[in-house]
Amino acid sequence: MHAVFRPPVNWRHRRFRYRLVVWRCQNCGAVHHYATSICRRCRSNRVAEDKLPDRARLITYTVVKNPPVAFEKQAPYIVGLVEFEDGTRLVAGITDCDLEELKPGIELERVVRKIAEDGESGLIVYGYKFRPAITRGRYTPGG
Amino acid sequence: MTAGYISLNVRNHQYAGRVAVILAEAVAENPVRCCQSTVVDYRFNTFIRVGAIGDELSRLSGVAVHGYGAYIPMFRIKASEIARIWGVPDSELPVLEKSVNSLDEDTVTIAAEAASYAIARAGIDPDRIGAVYVGSESHPYAVKPTGTIVADVLGVNSKLLSADLEFACKAGTEAVELVSGLVASGMIEYGLAIGADTAQGRPRDALEYTAAAGGVALLIGRSGEGAIADLEYAASYVTDTPDFWRRNHERYPMHGSRFTGAPAYFHHIISAAKMVLDDGYSFDEFDYVVFHQPNTKFPYAAAKMLGIPAKKVEPGVVCNVIGNTYAASSMMGLAKVLDQSKPGERILMVSYGSGAGSDAFVFRVREGIQEKRGRAPLVSELIERRRYIDYALYLKARGKIRE
Repeated sequence: MHAVFRPPVNWRHRRFRYRLVVWRCQNCGAVHHYATSICRRCRSNRVAEDKLPDRARLITYTVVKNPPVAFEKQAPYIVGLVEFEDGTRLVAGITDCDLEELKPGIELERVVRKIAEDGESGLIVYGYKFRPAITRGRYTPGG
Repeated sequence: MTAGYISLNVRNHQYAGRVAVILAEAVAENPVRCCQSTVVDYRFNTFIRVGAIGDELSRLSGVAVHGYGAYIPMFRIKASEIARIWGVPDSELPVLEKSVNSLDEDTVTIAAEAASYAIARAGIDPDRIGAVYVGSESHPYAVKPTGTIVADVLGVNSKLLSADLEFACKAGTEAVELVSGLVASGMIEYGLAIGADTAQGRPRDALEYTAAAGGVALLIGRSGEGAIADLEYAASYVTDTPDFWRRNHERYPMHGSRFTGAPAYFHHIISAAKMVLDDGYSFDEFDYVVFHQPNTKFPYAAAKMLGIPAKKVEPGVVCNVIGNTYAASSMMGLAKVLDQSKPGERILMVSYGSGAGSDAFVFRVREGIQEKRGRAPLVSELIERRRYIDYALYLKARGKIRE
Protein backbone atom coordinates (compact mmCIF):
# COMPACT_ATOMS: atom_id res chain seq x y z
CA MET A 1 0.00 0.00 0.00
CA HIS A 2 1.33 3.41 -0.90
CA ALA A 3 1.72 5.59 2.15
CA VAL A 4 0.84 9.28 1.94
CA PHE A 5 3.64 10.28 4.31
CA ARG A 6 6.94 8.56 3.68
CA PRO A 7 9.31 8.25 6.65
CA PRO A 8 12.48 9.76 5.06
CA VAL A 9 10.80 13.03 4.00
CA ASN A 10 9.00 13.39 7.29
CA TRP A 11 12.20 12.71 9.20
CA ARG A 12 14.31 15.11 7.13
CA HIS A 13 11.94 18.00 7.73
CA ARG A 14 11.37 17.46 11.43
CA ARG A 15 13.59 20.24 12.78
CA PHE A 16 11.82 22.76 10.54
CA ARG A 17 8.38 21.41 11.36
CA TYR A 18 8.95 21.13 15.11
CA ARG A 19 11.05 24.23 15.78
CA LEU A 20 11.15 26.31 12.59
CA VAL A 21 14.87 25.70 12.15
CA VAL A 22 15.80 27.04 8.70
CA TRP A 23 18.89 27.38 6.55
CA ARG A 24 19.34 31.02 5.57
CA CYS A 25 21.55 32.32 2.78
CA GLN A 26 24.00 34.88 4.17
CA ASN A 27 24.37 36.38 0.73
CA CYS A 28 20.79 36.95 -0.51
CA GLY A 29 18.72 36.10 2.58
CA ALA A 30 16.75 33.25 1.00
CA VAL A 31 15.28 30.81 3.53
CA HIS A 32 15.40 27.03 3.02
CA HIS A 33 13.40 24.67 5.18
CA TYR A 34 15.87 21.83 4.67
CA ALA A 35 19.61 21.50 5.25
CA THR A 36 21.55 22.71 2.23
CA SER A 37 25.07 23.97 1.60
CA ILE A 38 24.21 25.90 -1.58
CA CYS A 39 21.54 28.62 -1.77
CA ARG A 40 18.89 27.58 -4.23
CA ARG A 41 18.27 31.21 -5.28
CA CYS A 42 21.74 32.75 -5.67
CA ARG A 43 24.02 29.67 -5.59
CA SER A 44 26.06 31.17 -2.75
CA ASN A 45 27.72 28.62 -0.46
CA ARG A 46 27.35 30.91 2.55
CA VAL A 47 24.30 29.21 4.06
CA ALA A 48 23.90 29.09 7.84
CA GLU A 49 21.43 27.51 10.23
CA ASP A 50 18.93 29.94 11.72
CA LYS A 51 15.65 29.79 13.60
CA LEU A 52 12.48 31.69 12.76
CA PRO A 53 10.85 33.53 15.69
CA ASP A 54 8.02 31.99 17.71
CA ARG A 55 5.72 34.91 17.11
CA ALA A 56 4.32 36.27 13.87
CA ARG A 57 1.56 38.50 12.53
CA LEU A 58 -1.33 37.35 10.40
CA ILE A 59 -1.34 38.65 6.84
CA THR A 60 -4.38 36.80 5.51
CA TYR A 61 -6.07 33.40 5.64
CA THR A 62 -8.44 31.06 3.85
CA VAL A 63 -10.78 28.29 4.98
CA VAL A 64 -10.17 24.91 3.35
CA LYS A 65 -13.42 23.04 2.74
CA ASN A 66 -12.21 20.68 0.02
CA PRO A 67 -9.16 19.16 1.65
CA PRO A 68 -6.44 17.00 0.09
CA VAL A 69 -5.89 13.33 0.97
CA ALA A 70 -5.13 12.72 4.69
CA PHE A 71 -6.69 16.06 5.72
CA GLU A 72 -10.33 15.14 5.00
CA LYS A 73 -11.48 14.68 8.59
CA GLN A 74 -10.18 18.09 9.63
CA ALA A 75 -12.26 20.14 7.17
CA PRO A 76 -13.14 22.92 7.47
CA TYR A 77 -9.75 24.20 8.62
CA ILE A 78 -7.86 27.48 8.40
CA VAL A 79 -4.63 28.06 6.49
CA GLY A 80 -2.97 31.43 6.94
CA LEU A 81 -0.10 33.48 5.61
CA VAL A 82 1.97 34.80 8.51
CA GLU A 83 4.86 37.24 8.62
CA PHE A 84 7.75 37.31 11.08
CA GLU A 85 9.50 40.42 12.36
CA ASP A 86 12.28 40.08 9.79
CA GLY A 87 9.78 39.99 6.92
CA THR A 88 9.97 36.23 6.27
CA ARG A 89 6.55 34.89 5.30
CA LEU A 90 5.24 31.40 5.89
CA VAL A 91 2.06 29.50 5.07
CA ALA A 92 0.83 27.74 8.20
CA GLY A 93 -2.20 26.10 9.73
CA ILE A 94 -4.11 28.39 12.13
CA THR A 95 -5.69 26.69 15.12
CA ASP A 96 -7.60 27.32 18.36
CA CYS A 97 -9.61 30.27 17.09
CA ASP A 98 -12.86 31.45 15.56
CA LEU A 99 -12.89 33.22 12.20
CA GLU A 100 -14.14 36.41 13.90
CA GLU A 101 -10.83 36.66 15.79
CA LEU A 102 -8.72 36.56 12.65
CA LYS A 103 -8.13 40.18 11.76
CA PRO A 104 -5.05 40.95 9.62
CA GLY A 105 -2.19 42.04 11.86
CA ILE A 106 -3.17 40.11 15.00
CA GLU A 107 -0.32 38.54 16.92
CA LEU A 108 0.05 34.78 16.60
CA GLU A 109 2.26 32.33 18.49
CA ARG A 110 3.69 29.05 17.32
CA VAL A 111 2.48 25.74 18.70
CA VAL A 112 3.21 22.17 17.62
CA ARG A 113 0.16 20.22 16.57
CA LYS A 114 -0.83 17.11 14.71
CA ILE A 115 -0.77 18.14 11.03
CA ALA A 116 -2.27 14.97 9.57
CA GLU A 117 -2.29 11.25 9.98
CA ASP A 118 -1.88 8.62 7.31
CA GLY A 119 -5.00 6.54 7.93
CA GLU A 120 -5.08 4.38 11.04
CA SER A 121 -1.84 2.51 10.33
CA GLY A 122 0.51 5.06 8.77
CA LEU A 123 2.61 7.85 10.22
CA ILE A 124 1.30 10.72 12.29
CA VAL A 125 2.88 13.99 11.18
CA TYR A 126 3.46 16.75 13.74
CA GLY A 127 4.48 20.31 13.02
CA TYR A 128 4.06 24.02 13.54
CA LYS A 129 0.75 25.80 13.54
CA PHE A 130 -0.11 29.25 14.79
CA ARG A 131 -2.80 30.39 17.19
CA PRO A 132 -3.82 33.81 18.50
CA ALA A 133 -1.24 34.63 21.21
CA ILE A 134 -2.48 33.74 24.68
CA THR A 135 0.73 33.88 26.67
CA ARG A 136 1.83 37.52 26.56
CA GLY A 137 5.32 36.64 25.37
CA ARG A 138 6.29 34.88 28.55
CA TYR A 139 7.54 31.68 27.04
CA THR A 140 8.24 29.80 23.87
CA PRO A 141 5.33 27.49 23.15
CA GLY A 142 6.14 24.05 21.80
CA GLY A 143 9.88 24.50 22.41
CA MET B 1 23.42 12.14 67.66
CA THR B 2 23.56 9.57 70.46
CA ALA B 3 21.17 6.77 69.69
CA GLY B 4 19.98 4.70 72.65
CA TYR B 5 18.76 2.02 70.35
CA ILE B 6 18.25 1.75 66.65
CA SER B 7 15.02 0.70 65.05
CA LEU B 8 15.65 -0.36 61.50
CA ASN B 9 12.91 -0.04 58.95
CA VAL B 10 14.17 -0.93 55.50
CA ARG B 11 12.04 -0.78 52.41
CA ASN B 12 13.22 -1.47 48.90
CA HIS B 13 12.23 0.69 45.95
CA GLN B 14 13.24 -0.25 42.43
CA TYR B 15 13.62 2.67 40.06
CA ALA B 16 13.77 1.14 36.58
CA GLY B 17 16.00 -1.56 38.02
CA ARG B 18 18.80 1.01 38.22
CA VAL B 19 18.50 2.72 41.54
CA ALA B 20 17.84 1.06 44.84
CA VAL B 21 16.96 3.20 47.81
CA ILE B 22 17.47 2.00 51.36
CA LEU B 23 15.86 4.06 54.07
CA ALA B 24 17.08 3.44 57.60
CA GLU B 25 15.48 5.10 60.61
CA ALA B 26 17.43 5.51 63.81
CA VAL B 27 15.53 6.52 66.91
CA ALA B 28 17.45 8.41 69.59
CA GLU B 29 17.16 7.92 73.34
CA ASN B 30 15.23 11.11 73.99
CA PRO B 31 11.70 10.39 72.74
CA VAL B 32 10.76 14.10 72.63
CA ARG B 33 13.74 15.28 70.60
CA CYS B 34 13.52 12.16 68.52
CA CYS B 35 16.33 12.14 65.96
CA GLN B 36 16.35 10.38 62.63
CA SER B 37 19.12 9.53 60.27
CA THR B 38 18.32 8.79 56.69
CA VAL B 39 20.91 6.80 54.81
CA VAL B 40 20.32 6.93 51.11
CA ASP B 41 22.49 4.52 49.20
CA TYR B 42 22.36 4.87 45.45
CA ARG B 43 24.37 3.01 42.91
CA PHE B 44 26.36 6.07 41.96
CA ASN B 45 26.20 8.32 45.00
CA THR B 46 26.04 7.77 48.70
CA PHE B 47 25.08 10.52 51.08
CA ILE B 48 23.85 10.67 54.62
CA ARG B 49 21.57 13.29 56.14
CA VAL B 50 20.94 13.53 59.86
CA GLY B 51 18.35 15.77 61.44
CA ALA B 52 15.55 16.00 63.96
CA ILE B 53 11.91 15.38 63.07
CA GLY B 54 10.37 18.68 62.04
CA ASP B 55 13.69 19.87 60.64
CA GLU B 56 14.38 19.66 56.96
CA LEU B 57 15.00 15.95 56.91
CA SER B 58 14.44 14.62 53.42
CA ARG B 59 13.65 11.01 52.88
CA LEU B 60 14.43 11.70 49.27
CA SER B 61 17.52 13.80 49.52
CA GLY B 62 18.50 16.64 47.26
CA VAL B 63 15.80 16.39 44.58
CA ALA B 64 13.65 19.37 43.61
CA VAL B 65 11.12 20.62 41.10
CA HIS B 66 12.69 23.45 39.06
CA GLY B 67 9.87 23.96 36.63
CA TYR B 68 6.27 22.89 36.19
CA GLY B 69 3.86 23.40 33.35
CA ALA B 70 0.25 22.52 32.67
CA TYR B 71 -1.71 22.52 29.46
CA ILE B 72 -5.46 22.12 28.98
CA PRO B 73 -7.04 22.07 25.49
CA MET B 74 -9.49 24.84 24.75
CA PHE B 75 -12.68 22.89 24.07
CA ARG B 76 -15.16 22.02 26.84
CA ILE B 77 -18.30 19.94 26.81
CA LYS B 78 -20.78 20.28 29.63
CA ALA B 79 -21.73 17.05 31.40
CA SER B 80 -25.35 18.14 30.99
CA GLU B 81 -24.86 18.15 27.18
CA ILE B 82 -23.68 14.51 27.30
CA ALA B 83 -26.56 13.68 29.66
CA ARG B 84 -29.00 15.27 27.21
CA ILE B 85 -28.02 12.69 24.57
CA TRP B 86 -28.56 9.73 26.87
CA GLY B 87 -31.52 10.97 28.92
CA VAL B 88 -29.67 11.02 32.23
CA PRO B 89 -30.88 13.48 34.91
CA ASP B 90 -28.46 16.38 35.58
CA SER B 91 -28.46 15.63 39.31
CA GLU B 92 -26.46 12.43 38.81
CA LEU B 93 -23.47 13.91 36.98
CA PRO B 94 -19.94 13.46 38.39
CA VAL B 95 -18.47 16.76 37.08
CA LEU B 96 -19.74 20.06 35.61
CA GLU B 97 -17.77 19.93 32.37
CA LYS B 98 -14.66 18.39 30.87
CA SER B 99 -11.87 19.46 28.52
CA VAL B 100 -11.78 18.00 25.01
CA ASN B 101 -8.74 17.95 22.73
CA SER B 102 -9.23 19.36 19.25
CA LEU B 103 -8.60 17.25 16.14
CA ASP B 104 -4.99 18.43 15.90
CA GLU B 105 -4.12 17.65 19.51
CA ASP B 106 -3.00 14.38 21.04
CA THR B 107 -0.80 13.18 23.88
CA VAL B 108 2.37 14.26 22.02
CA THR B 109 1.27 17.85 21.43
CA ILE B 110 -0.24 18.22 24.91
CA ALA B 111 2.89 16.79 26.57
CA ALA B 112 5.14 19.04 24.47
CA GLU B 113 3.23 22.20 25.34
CA ALA B 114 3.11 21.41 29.08
CA ALA B 115 6.84 20.60 29.00
CA SER B 116 7.68 23.82 27.16
CA TYR B 117 6.00 25.73 30.00
CA ALA B 118 8.00 23.73 32.57
CA ILE B 119 11.25 24.58 30.77
CA ALA B 120 10.21 28.25 30.52
CA ARG B 121 9.58 28.36 34.27
CA ALA B 122 12.89 26.67 35.06
CA GLY B 123 14.70 28.97 32.63
CA ILE B 124 17.27 26.33 31.70
CA ASP B 125 18.81 25.30 28.39
CA PRO B 126 16.86 22.23 27.14
CA ASP B 127 20.20 20.56 26.37
CA ARG B 128 20.76 20.02 30.10
CA ILE B 129 17.76 17.67 30.23
CA GLY B 130 18.90 14.06 30.42
CA ALA B 131 15.57 12.22 30.50
CA VAL B 132 12.09 12.65 29.03
CA TYR B 133 9.49 10.23 30.34
CA VAL B 134 5.88 10.50 29.24
CA GLY B 135 3.19 8.65 31.16
CA SER B 136 -0.14 8.19 29.40
CA GLU B 137 -2.85 5.72 28.58
CA SER B 138 -3.40 7.34 25.18
CA HIS B 139 0.02 7.25 23.50
CA PRO B 140 -0.67 7.98 19.80
CA TYR B 141 1.39 5.00 18.66
CA ALA B 142 1.17 1.48 20.10
CA VAL B 143 4.81 1.06 19.11
CA LYS B 144 6.95 4.20 18.72
CA PRO B 145 7.77 6.31 21.74
CA THR B 146 5.92 9.53 22.51
CA GLY B 147 8.97 10.74 24.47
CA THR B 148 11.31 10.95 21.47
CA ILE B 149 8.87 13.15 19.54
CA VAL B 150 8.33 15.39 22.56
CA ALA B 151 12.09 15.69 23.13
CA ASP B 152 12.73 16.67 19.52
CA VAL B 153 9.91 19.22 19.59
CA LEU B 154 11.46 20.75 22.72
CA GLY B 155 14.92 20.81 21.17
CA VAL B 156 16.45 18.53 23.79
CA ASN B 157 19.89 17.09 23.02
CA SER B 158 19.81 13.50 21.72
CA LYS B 159 22.00 12.24 24.60
CA LEU B 160 18.85 11.32 26.43
CA LEU B 161 16.98 8.66 28.32
CA SER B 162 13.42 8.33 27.10
CA ALA B 163 10.59 5.87 27.44
CA ASP B 164 6.83 5.82 27.53
CA LEU B 165 5.17 4.75 30.74
CA GLU B 166 1.79 3.20 31.20
CA PHE B 167 -0.05 2.77 34.49
CA ALA B 168 -3.55 4.14 33.86
CA CYS B 169 -3.91 7.42 35.78
CA LYS B 170 -0.62 7.15 37.68
CA ALA B 171 1.66 6.87 34.65
CA GLY B 172 2.62 10.54 35.09
CA THR B 173 3.62 10.24 38.74
CA GLU B 174 5.49 7.03 37.90
CA ALA B 175 7.60 9.26 35.63
CA VAL B 176 8.17 11.61 38.59
CA GLU B 177 9.47 8.68 40.67
CA LEU B 178 11.81 7.52 37.87
CA VAL B 179 13.23 10.95 37.11
CA SER B 180 13.72 11.67 40.84
CA GLY B 181 15.75 8.48 41.18
CA LEU B 182 17.88 9.33 38.15
CA VAL B 183 18.53 12.86 39.42
CA ALA B 184 19.33 11.66 42.95
CA SER B 185 21.76 9.06 41.61
CA GLY B 186 23.60 11.68 39.60
CA MET B 187 22.93 9.94 36.29
CA ILE B 188 21.20 13.04 34.90
CA GLU B 189 21.25 16.76 35.77
CA TYR B 190 17.63 17.50 34.87
CA GLY B 191 14.76 15.29 33.76
CA LEU B 192 11.24 15.85 32.49
CA ALA B 193 8.42 13.81 34.01
CA ILE B 194 5.24 14.29 32.00
CA GLY B 195 1.71 12.99 32.47
CA ALA B 196 -0.56 13.65 29.48
CA ASP B 197 -3.73 12.09 28.15
CA THR B 198 -6.60 12.33 25.72
CA ALA B 199 -8.67 9.84 27.65
CA GLN B 200 -11.21 7.58 25.96
CA GLY B 201 -14.76 7.18 27.22
CA ARG B 202 -17.19 4.84 25.50
CA PRO B 203 -20.38 6.66 24.40
CA ARG B 204 -23.06 6.30 27.13
CA ASP B 205 -20.53 4.87 29.62
CA ALA B 206 -20.13 6.59 33.01
CA LEU B 207 -16.57 7.56 31.98
CA GLU B 208 -17.85 9.59 29.05
CA TYR B 209 -18.71 12.43 31.45
CA THR B 210 -15.20 12.63 32.91
CA ALA B 211 -12.60 11.26 30.42
CA ALA B 212 -10.78 14.49 29.56
CA ALA B 213 -7.62 15.82 27.92
CA GLY B 214 -4.68 17.64 29.49
CA GLY B 215 -1.06 17.37 30.49
CA VAL B 216 1.36 18.40 33.21
CA ALA B 217 5.15 18.33 33.17
CA LEU B 218 7.59 18.58 36.07
CA LEU B 219 11.20 19.51 35.40
CA ILE B 220 13.20 17.85 38.15
CA GLY B 221 16.81 18.51 39.16
CA ARG B 222 19.07 18.78 42.21
CA SER B 223 17.73 20.98 45.00
CA GLY B 224 19.39 24.31 45.47
CA GLU B 225 19.24 27.86 44.15
CA GLY B 226 16.03 28.70 42.33
CA ALA B 227 14.16 25.49 43.11
CA ILE B 228 10.35 25.74 43.09
CA ALA B 229 9.78 22.88 45.53
CA ASP B 230 11.96 20.25 47.17
CA LEU B 231 10.71 16.72 46.67
CA GLU B 232 11.07 15.44 50.21
CA TYR B 233 9.46 12.06 50.01
CA ALA B 234 8.29 9.53 47.43
CA ALA B 235 6.71 6.14 48.00
CA SER B 236 4.50 3.78 46.08
CA TYR B 237 1.87 1.16 46.89
CA VAL B 238 0.65 -1.29 44.24
CA THR B 239 -1.50 -4.42 44.10
CA ASP B 240 -3.11 -6.50 41.36
CA THR B 241 -6.61 -4.99 41.37
CA PRO B 242 -8.66 -5.38 38.16
CA ASP B 243 -10.84 -2.25 38.41
CA PHE B 244 -10.23 -0.78 34.93
CA TRP B 245 -8.47 -2.05 31.82
CA ARG B 246 -8.21 -1.81 28.06
CA ARG B 247 -7.17 -4.78 25.96
CA ASN B 248 -4.99 -4.56 22.85
CA HIS B 249 -6.69 -3.08 19.74
CA GLU B 250 -9.73 -1.96 21.79
CA ARG B 251 -10.80 1.67 21.43
CA TYR B 252 -12.40 2.03 24.85
CA PRO B 253 -11.55 0.76 28.32
CA MET B 254 -13.74 -1.47 30.50
CA HIS B 255 -14.22 -0.96 34.21
CA GLY B 256 -15.72 -2.59 37.27
CA SER B 257 -18.27 0.17 38.03
CA ARG B 258 -18.63 0.39 41.80
CA PHE B 259 -15.62 -1.87 42.22
CA THR B 260 -13.46 1.12 41.19
CA GLY B 261 -14.25 2.74 44.57
CA ALA B 262 -13.55 0.99 47.87
CA PRO B 263 -11.08 -1.81 46.93
CA ALA B 264 -9.45 0.24 44.19
CA TYR B 265 -9.25 4.04 44.56
CA PHE B 266 -9.78 4.34 48.30
CA HIS B 267 -7.69 1.33 49.36
CA HIS B 268 -4.63 2.47 47.40
CA ILE B 269 -4.88 6.21 48.09
CA ILE B 270 -5.29 5.57 51.81
CA SER B 271 -2.56 2.92 51.97
CA ALA B 272 -0.06 5.22 50.20
CA ALA B 273 -1.06 8.18 52.40
CA LYS B 274 -0.53 6.04 55.49
CA MET B 275 2.99 5.14 54.31
CA VAL B 276 3.73 8.86 54.57
CA LEU B 277 2.49 8.79 58.18
CA ASP B 278 4.50 5.65 58.95
CA ASP B 279 7.63 7.46 57.84
CA GLY B 280 7.19 10.21 60.39
CA TYR B 281 4.96 12.87 58.84
CA SER B 282 1.64 13.96 60.31
CA PHE B 283 -1.22 15.31 58.20
CA ASP B 284 -1.06 18.56 60.22
CA GLU B 285 2.26 19.32 58.50
CA PHE B 286 0.61 19.59 55.08
CA ASP B 287 -0.88 22.89 53.94
CA TYR B 288 -2.37 21.30 50.81
CA VAL B 289 -3.43 17.75 50.01
CA VAL B 290 -3.89 16.67 46.38
CA PHE B 291 -5.45 13.33 45.48
CA HIS B 292 -6.13 11.82 42.09
CA GLN B 293 -9.47 13.15 40.87
CA PRO B 294 -11.59 10.71 38.83
CA ASN B 295 -14.65 12.73 39.85
CA THR B 296 -15.34 15.57 42.26
CA LYS B 297 -16.59 13.35 45.08
CA PHE B 298 -13.70 10.89 45.53
CA PRO B 299 -10.85 13.21 46.66
CA TYR B 300 -13.06 14.77 49.37
CA ALA B 301 -14.26 11.32 50.47
CA ALA B 302 -10.67 10.02 50.75
CA ALA B 303 -9.70 13.10 52.78
CA LYS B 304 -12.63 12.53 55.13
CA MET B 305 -11.59 8.89 55.69
CA LEU B 306 -8.07 10.07 56.59
CA GLY B 307 -9.32 12.89 58.83
CA ILE B 308 -7.93 15.62 56.55
CA PRO B 309 -10.02 18.82 56.47
CA ALA B 310 -11.72 19.53 53.11
CA LYS B 311 -10.20 23.03 53.00
CA LYS B 312 -6.75 21.46 52.40
CA VAL B 313 -8.11 19.49 49.44
CA GLU B 314 -10.21 22.22 47.82
CA PRO B 315 -7.30 24.37 46.40
CA GLY B 316 -6.11 21.44 44.25
CA VAL B 317 -9.46 20.31 42.86
CA VAL B 318 -9.71 20.84 39.09
CA CYS B 319 -11.82 17.85 38.10
CA ASN B 320 -15.17 19.65 38.44
CA VAL B 321 -14.34 22.05 35.59
CA ILE B 322 -11.98 20.05 33.33
CA GLY B 323 -12.86 16.43 34.14
CA ASN B 324 -10.38 13.63 34.78
CA THR B 325 -7.19 14.24 32.81
CA TYR B 326 -6.01 10.70 33.68
CA ALA B 327 -2.17 10.59 33.82
CA ALA B 328 -2.19 14.35 34.42
CA SER B 329 -4.99 14.37 36.99
CA SER B 330 -3.18 14.55 40.34
CA MET B 331 -0.30 16.49 38.76
CA MET B 332 -2.83 19.08 37.49
CA GLY B 333 -3.99 19.47 41.10
CA LEU B 334 -0.36 19.91 42.14
CA ALA B 335 0.19 22.54 39.42
CA LYS B 336 -2.90 24.45 40.59
CA VAL B 337 -1.63 24.33 44.19
CA LEU B 338 1.88 25.49 43.16
CA ASP B 339 0.16 28.41 41.38
CA GLN B 340 -1.06 29.68 44.75
CA SER B 341 1.41 28.34 47.33
CA LYS B 342 3.98 30.24 49.40
CA PRO B 343 7.57 29.26 50.23
CA GLY B 344 7.79 26.92 53.23
CA GLU B 345 4.40 25.28 52.65
CA ARG B 346 4.15 21.51 52.35
CA ILE B 347 2.06 19.65 49.77
CA LEU B 348 1.03 16.00 49.93
CA MET B 349 0.18 14.54 46.53
CA VAL B 350 -1.19 11.00 46.15
CA SER B 351 -1.92 9.72 42.67
CA TYR B 352 -3.98 6.69 41.77
CA GLY B 353 -3.71 4.46 38.74
CA SER B 354 -6.07 1.60 38.02
CA GLY B 355 -4.66 -1.86 37.93
CA ALA B 356 -3.75 -0.59 40.61
CA GLY B 357 -1.46 1.62 42.63
CA SER B 358 -0.82 4.97 44.29
CA ASP B 359 2.30 7.14 44.47
CA ALA B 360 2.64 9.47 47.46
CA PHE B 361 4.88 12.55 47.35
CA VAL B 362 5.69 15.31 49.79
CA PHE B 363 6.77 18.64 48.29
CA ARG B 364 8.15 21.58 50.27
CA VAL B 365 7.65 24.84 48.39
CA ARG B 366 10.81 26.98 47.97
CA GLU B 367 11.54 30.65 47.27
CA GLY B 368 11.95 29.98 43.53
CA ILE B 369 8.17 29.75 43.18
CA GLN B 370 7.70 33.51 43.48
CA GLU B 371 9.94 34.42 40.58
CA LYS B 372 9.08 31.47 38.31
CA ARG B 373 5.32 31.18 38.71
CA GLY B 374 4.54 34.03 36.29
CA ARG B 375 6.71 32.74 33.44
CA ALA B 376 3.98 30.47 32.01
CA PRO B 377 0.17 30.28 32.08
CA LEU B 378 -1.45 29.42 35.40
CA VAL B 379 -3.89 26.52 35.62
CA SER B 380 -6.68 29.03 36.35
CA GLU B 381 -5.87 30.91 33.12
CA LEU B 382 -5.98 27.67 31.13
CA ILE B 383 -9.32 26.80 32.72
CA GLU B 384 -10.68 30.24 31.80
CA ARG B 385 -9.58 29.83 28.17
CA ARG B 386 -12.48 27.71 27.01
CA ARG B 387 -14.94 27.26 24.21
CA TYR B 388 -18.03 25.11 24.56
CA ILE B 389 -18.89 22.52 21.94
CA ASP B 390 -22.00 20.40 21.51
CA TYR B 391 -22.11 16.62 21.41
CA ALA B 392 -21.84 16.48 17.59
CA LEU B 393 -18.64 18.55 17.51
CA TYR B 394 -17.38 16.47 20.45
CA LEU B 395 -17.83 13.30 18.37
CA LYS B 396 -15.90 14.90 15.50
CA ALA B 397 -13.08 16.25 17.71
CA ARG B 398 -12.61 12.87 19.38
CA GLY B 399 -12.60 10.96 16.09
CA LYS B 400 -15.72 9.02 17.05
CA ILE B 401 -17.34 9.50 13.65
CA ARG B 402 -16.39 6.36 11.71
CA GLU B 403 -16.93 5.75 8.02
